[in-house]
Amino acid sequence: MEVLQYSIRKMIAGIPLVLGVTFISFLLIVYFGPDQTYELLGKNPTAEEIAEVRSQLGYDQPFVARYLQYLREIVTLDFGSSQSTDEKVSSILARTIPVSLLLSIPGFVLGNLLGVILALLAAYHRGRWPDKFIMGFAAVGMSISFLIAIIGFQILLSSSDGLDLFPVRGWDTSTPWQYLRYVTVPTLATVFVALGYNTRFYRAVIVEEMTRDHVRTARAFGIPPIQLFYKNILKNSMIPIVTRVVFSIPLIIISGSLLLESFFGIPGVGKVSYDAIVTGDQPVLKAVVALTAVLFVVAQLLTDICYRIVDPRVSLK
Amino acid sequence: MSQRDSSETLLRVLDLVVEFDTDQGVVRAVDGVSFDLQPGETMGLVGESGCGKTVTGLALLGLIPSPPGRIVSGSIEFLGQDLTALAENELRKIRGSDISMIFQEPMTALNPVFRIGNQMSDVLRLHQGLSRRQARAAAIEMLAKVGIPDPGQRVDDYPHQLSGGMRQRVMIAMALSCGPKLLVADEPTTALDVTTQAQVLEQITKLQGEFGMAMILVTHDLGVVAETCQKAIVMYCGRIVENSPIAPMFESPRHPYTAGLLASIPRVRAERVKELPVIPGIVPDLLHLPTGCRFADRCSKVQGRCRQSIPQLQQLADTKTLVACYEPN
Amino acid sequence: MSAESSQANSIAENQARRRAHGDSLWLKALRKFRHDRVGMWSLAVVCLYALAALGVVTGLWASDWAAVTGPKWASASAEYWFGTNIIGQDIFARALYSTRTAFEVGVIVALGATFLGAVLGSIAGFFSGTWIDEIVIWLMGVLDSVPFILLVAAIAYSLQGSPWAMHIAMIATFWITTARLVRGEVIKLKSLEYVEAARAIGLSQTLIIFRHILPNTFHILLVQATISFVAAIKSEVILSFLGLGVKDGMSWGLMISESTFEVLAGFFNNFIAASILMFGLVMAFNMFSDALQDALDPRTVKES
Repeated sequence: MEVLQYSIRKMIAGIPLVLGVTFISFLLIVYFGPDQTYELLGKNPTAEEIAEVRSQLGYDQPFVARYLQYLREIVTLDFGSSQSTDEKVSSILARTIPVSLLLSIPGFVLGNLLGVILALLAAYHRGRWPDKFIMGFAAVGMSISFLIAIIGFQILLSSSDGLDLFPVRGWDTSTPWQYLRYVTVPTLATVFVALGYNTRFYRAVIVEEMTRDHVRTARAFGIPPIQLFYKNILKNSMIPIVTRVVFSIPLIIISGSLLLESFFGIPGVGKVSYDAIVTGDQPVLKAVVALTAVLFVVAQLLTDICYRIVDPRVSLK
Repeated sequence: MSQRDSSETLLRVLDLVVEFDTDQGVVRAVDGVSFDLQPGETMGLVGESGCGKTVTGLALLGLIPSPPGRIVSGSIEFLGQDLTALAENELRKIRGSDISMIFQEPMTALNPVFRIGNQMSDVLRLHQGLSRRQARAAAIEMLAKVGIPDPGQRVDDYPHQLSGGMRQRVMIAMALSCGPKLLVADEPTTALDVTTQAQVLEQITKLQGEFGMAMILVTHDLGVVAETCQKAIVMYCGRIVENSPIAPMFESPRHPYTAGLLASIPRVRAERVKELPVIPGIVPDLLHLPTGCRFADRCSKVQGRCRQSIPQLQQLADTKTLVACYEPN
Repeated sequence: MSAESSQANSIAENQARRRAHGDSLWLKALRKFRHDRVGMWSLAVVCLYALAALGVVTGLWASDWAAVTGPKWASASAEYWFGTNIIGQDIFARALYSTRTAFEVGVIVALGATFLGAVLGSIAGFFSGTWIDEIVIWLMGVLDSVPFILLVAAIAYSLQGSPWAMHIAMIATFWITTARLVRGEVIKLKSLEYVEAARAIGLSQTLIIFRHILPNTFHILLVQATISFVAAIKSEVILSFLGLGVKDGMSWGLMISESTFEVLAGFFNNFIAASILMFGLVMAFNMFSDALQDALDPRTVKES
């Protein structure tokens, strides 16, 4: 009950944020964007046809009215149809979002799980060679561009010069085995790069917790090191770690998948967004941006709630 | 006070040396410290910040952080066993059960995400093999002993729900829960306000009497030492300069440093003074220690031989006081 | 940090400070940095790259990167260190030229983002709790919510394809972390310096912010600038691949984008040249950034 009240309050507080994002994107995409009139007309349009299209696109209406129209679209989840394919935007989203999720989730989960494990190992052996080795590996992962990692793994695993074990592009989830074949290379690339950042950050958090007073107290009472680690250090470290993980969810789903999908030709939200960017498909762009804004607010809310569950010091007032 | 068993010394520290690696070289925080402690005895370990008293306390439990510090030489005999020769897993059996330590900052000494009953139970179950239920009951009992009201409820509280004074009492309860023979208290009341200070000290001494426990009270506060201790050790720059029973130390301090410390305590006097007496000069840099007595530059009675060689701790005739000085008072 | 080692250190520190009559954070950092071998080496590598970029700018080398001089897809040789690409251009020259692009993007974005972050962060921090602060925080949230690539696309779209869209978008996103850190620091500092400032009645608030508080955040700004530099270079690669990045000229991103299909046909030179050079700069800069952070860290005990 308390959680519900809190959630509602937070969502209301998030409204200015959503408004801000939609406003800026509206400004950039629709208002300052190129005049779309002539894209929709054929050759030699008559004056009437021009006027008709213009009114259809809403160019003859005042700014505020057009912005409100955008907001209405968001609330009703009806963004019209794609300019390039004529498919309804909502159906596009319904079709592509699951694909993006299927693509990003394994990488996301593995990247964070492995990151935490490696960080724990590194922190436990702080200063000794396992630590240096893991941190070195993390430094390399951080310095390799995501794109380079993708191409690299593609060469290694999918090309005829490499192991040629996996398909080069494409997407097929008809059977679990096929799914595995198509998701492996993208996931490997994601994990490789994510590990760099994650491990470093998580290690820093854990080391910081290790040097806290209450750990010294536990040691002074003879608590053995393994219990020390898992009880006294881990739970305390989870607070900043979980925060970061939850916070990064919207980023992963939309931004991360954009590159992967355009590269591997996977029909997800990212690819659709990218195509929309290239072709200037406004309805799709507007929909994606709005979606991300809402997702972000939700992610913030989830982060706050997670905080509450894990850290008893934080109250829901 | 409890009986003294003079045939079995509880703790004997002999020539303890502890070093630390720093960016600018090796620092000897503790340089040849020796003292005895009898069962049930209360000893004050006094000195200003950086004199090595906390390090000494930590060394007893083997809690010196290992990079960058280490025990270089010396022995710590506890009931006949040399603690410096013990492996880590054997030391762990002693920590919290035979020797307990409590620290200065009650605000941060407890884990904020676990309930205090939980944390206390951990210690009880570890050292006494109690079941969860037994441990919880024992914890509640200890909380009552340290004077925490409504212990049955409080045991499920989180540390942030308690005040500083209460948290320190919880620490004491935890430290005493397994009936240790020695309690090392490192500035236990420094972070508390004066009223709470008095209460907590009273609690500690009362329980000490009840448990027949010896205590080393590490502090810079001479007032606290005067109230609670039977003898005191004064440290300066990693060495002991005076080791004396309480009353003689306060009535007639032998080492010039001790005298200076006592003189500089602000108090009500019969006549006005223009300035409060201070010890002139500053503490020498531990990286660049002088040969000879380390107090020499600040001492009003300094002589030639004081700078040539370091005075050793020696018993003054007809007293129980040990001093490290060529010209004691 | 535990009490005992901090005691040993505080004694040592106190003595050192007394001798040096107040070493500033910067002097201490410089001393520490000089002892950090990894840091010094990475700085050297970065300078090497910087010199390379400078050489390109002044026309010393690689100015002929676009010249079609050799055979197509030649393999590495003495004349063409990395061979030639599909049109016959010298891959090494192109990679070298891209160094200049990288520095251009990196420096512009780093300066812009750090400056913006410093200004907005300190204003928000100084006026924390008021509507000014709320607005800046709201702005940060808004810009954070828009996925970076979409923002670049949107800006490029609205600017009708200007080559500066990339820089603007990067600056518009990267300033946020800096601003958050500066804001936090200013809030901390406010309660210290502010008392002094209050006594000096008559000092305008702008003066207080910019002359007294902001300089105390320079160590944060420096580290953040290096982080922004690296982020800019890495982002450029992805943006250029998507066609949203560098428009005229050459960059590592464009080279890699070119190589995407080449590698499947077995021609790796383009890819390797760009990747190696980029990795070198980014890795070195990252190490340098780390060393900088360590040197500026007020906690002096190092874990060894």
